[in-house]
Amino acid sequence: MENQRTEARSVADGVRLAVRGVVYAVVGGLALLAIATVASVLGPMLALDLATPAMAAWWTVFTAVVVQGVPFLLLGTLVSAAIGAFVPARVFSRLLPRSPALAVPVAGAAGVVLPGCECASVPVAGSLMRRGVAPAAALAFLLSAPAINPVVLVATSIAFPGQPSMVLARLLASLAAAVVTGWLWVRFGKDEWLRLPKTRTPSGGSGDAGTPRSRWDGFRAGLQHDFLHAGGFLVVGAAAAATFGIVVPRSVLDVFTDSPWLSVLLLAVLAVVLCVCSEADAFVAASLTGFSPTARLAFMVVGPMVDLKLIALQTGTFGRSFAVRFSAATWVVAVTSSVLAGWWLL
Amino acid sequence: MVAPVRRYGPAAVLLLSGAAILRISLFSELYLRYVQPGLRPYLIASGVLLVLLGAVSGGRTARGDAHDATDTHDHHTSHGPRVAWLLTVPALALLLFPPPALGSYSADREAAQYAAQGVGTFPELPAGDPVDLTLGEFTSRAIYDSERSLKGRTVRMTGFVTREENEGEDSTWYLTRLLVSCCAADAAPYKIEVRGADAPPEDAWVTVTGTWHPEGGLGSEEAWPPVLDAASVKRVAEPRNPYEKR
Repeated sequence: MENQRTEARSVADGVRLAVRGVVYAVVGGLALLAIATVASVLGPMLALDLATPAMAAWWTVFTAVVVQGVPFLLLGTLVSAAIGAFVPARVFSRLLPRSPALAVPVAGAAGVVLPGCECASVPVAGSLMRRGVAPAAALAFLLSAPAINPVVLVATSIAFPGQPSMVLARLLASLAAAVVTGWLWVRFGKDEWLRLPKTRTPSGGSGDAGTPRSRWDGFRAGLQHDFLHAGGFLVVGAAAAATFGIVVPRSVLDVFTDSPWLSVLLLAVLAVVLCVCSEADAFVAASLTGFSPTARLAFMVVGPMVDLKLIALQTGTFGRSFAVRFSAATWVVAVTSSVLAGWWLL
Repeated sequence: MVAPVRRYGPAAVLLLSGAAILRISLFSELYLRYVQPGLRPYLIASGVLLVLLGAVSGGRTARGDAHDATDTHDHHTSHGPRVAWLLTVPALALLLFPPPALGSYSADREAAQYAAQGVGTFPELPAGDPVDLTLGEFTSRAIYDSERSLKGRTVRMTGFVTREENEGEDSTWYLTRLLVSCCAADAAPYKIEVRGADAPPEDAWVTVTGTWHPEGGLGSEEAWPPVLDAASVKRVAEPRNPYEKR
């Protein structure tokens, strides 16, 4: 009886497997056929397009931004994966003051020494909240960690050689924006906007004591995930930056660059749309020659705090009603803060 | 068909990216078309790390360790973020047809660099006849050197050709080199007007030997772009590093 049932099941499994194989073969074959057809038709046209100077320049700038960004991205994800795997999150909650208003600046400053790309900081902030850290403090950390950690600041100083004031302005403006947004949450934030994550995320820096082997696995998995995720968005950003540089005629940019206010707002919007990872965004900002230093600062302050991929990540982790309000408020605070810092330092 | 692609996707993307980085940094000097020379060790280290990571990831998948990929967000498949596939675009481009160095198209779009700002004295020119200079150094000295150290010296510089069609019959051409401080995205040109020689085709790499032709007052608008009276123009191959560093 038992044997028969197992046998029947294995036969059913076999049939299912065979059907699946056929479906895969048909779908895959059709896809290959379609790709081959399209490629043979479009190939010569694409080759012609590639040969135009504009397309060649697009490809060069596109690959250049990616090539330049990869080592920094990897360095950042190495450190953030190490922290996610080896530093228990409860260390942070012990270090923080009890009063949220005091915990906000401490958590914001803690972001300075805890490198991580913005994609990694969202799950970390979620796990901090689950560990009883005040949401405002966790959010200040979420904003400051990707914006002002050493990797990002070093990348900024390399992208802006001989301009240490740009690094300082970025540090201060980002820290100020993170702390002010945290305080705004203490004053106006409502817990019902926040859908606290219930399940534990594996790469979320939970950092429980585990066997050394499982920790190394967590490290490797975190590194792989963070690099692939951020790398994909780096490609998007590079493509957008290259397109922006090639398609938009200089004269149009001049309209914006002539007006300091418009150029700040334009780059602050661009930072949201381009979604460049914080470890690489300084290089994109440096390539936007022709914009005022303050506008480029706004690009680098807004980028790690508000962009399309972050809004998506936050929606997934904390819920939509939170993500929309939080991103809008953060954008305004970040722009204001970078204008003030730019006016003071640049 | 689809399942293995999904399962081995992360490993494949990591291996491809690592191979692409190593191809341009370790196995050739193509990286100089995109970034500055100082980045090479970091590129090689990144390439090696990516290949290792990809190999380990692939090995684990093959051993059936399917659930080791982290799954943190809704839009991810269980085998790594889907957006990562985009990394294959630059990786394949670098592996199959590495994009060329930027040339006259980009030089024409960006405003030329003045290099040094402000009139002052410069260190003595190195000995040698002709003396080899970068376009940046020539431009700075031609426009801002109060001691006019270029006077009476024969100089030799290498760059590519850009042209400017004028109203009249004579078109001017420039010896041009792009300045890259970080990566090709921030390229900005140096331009030196060449007189006394017929213009080679646009984008051709040339080595020009000649003497400085002073024009306008120091630091004035008329002094720019600097002018070179060419004695000889020789076609050369594209240099190892197509850009000048700040």
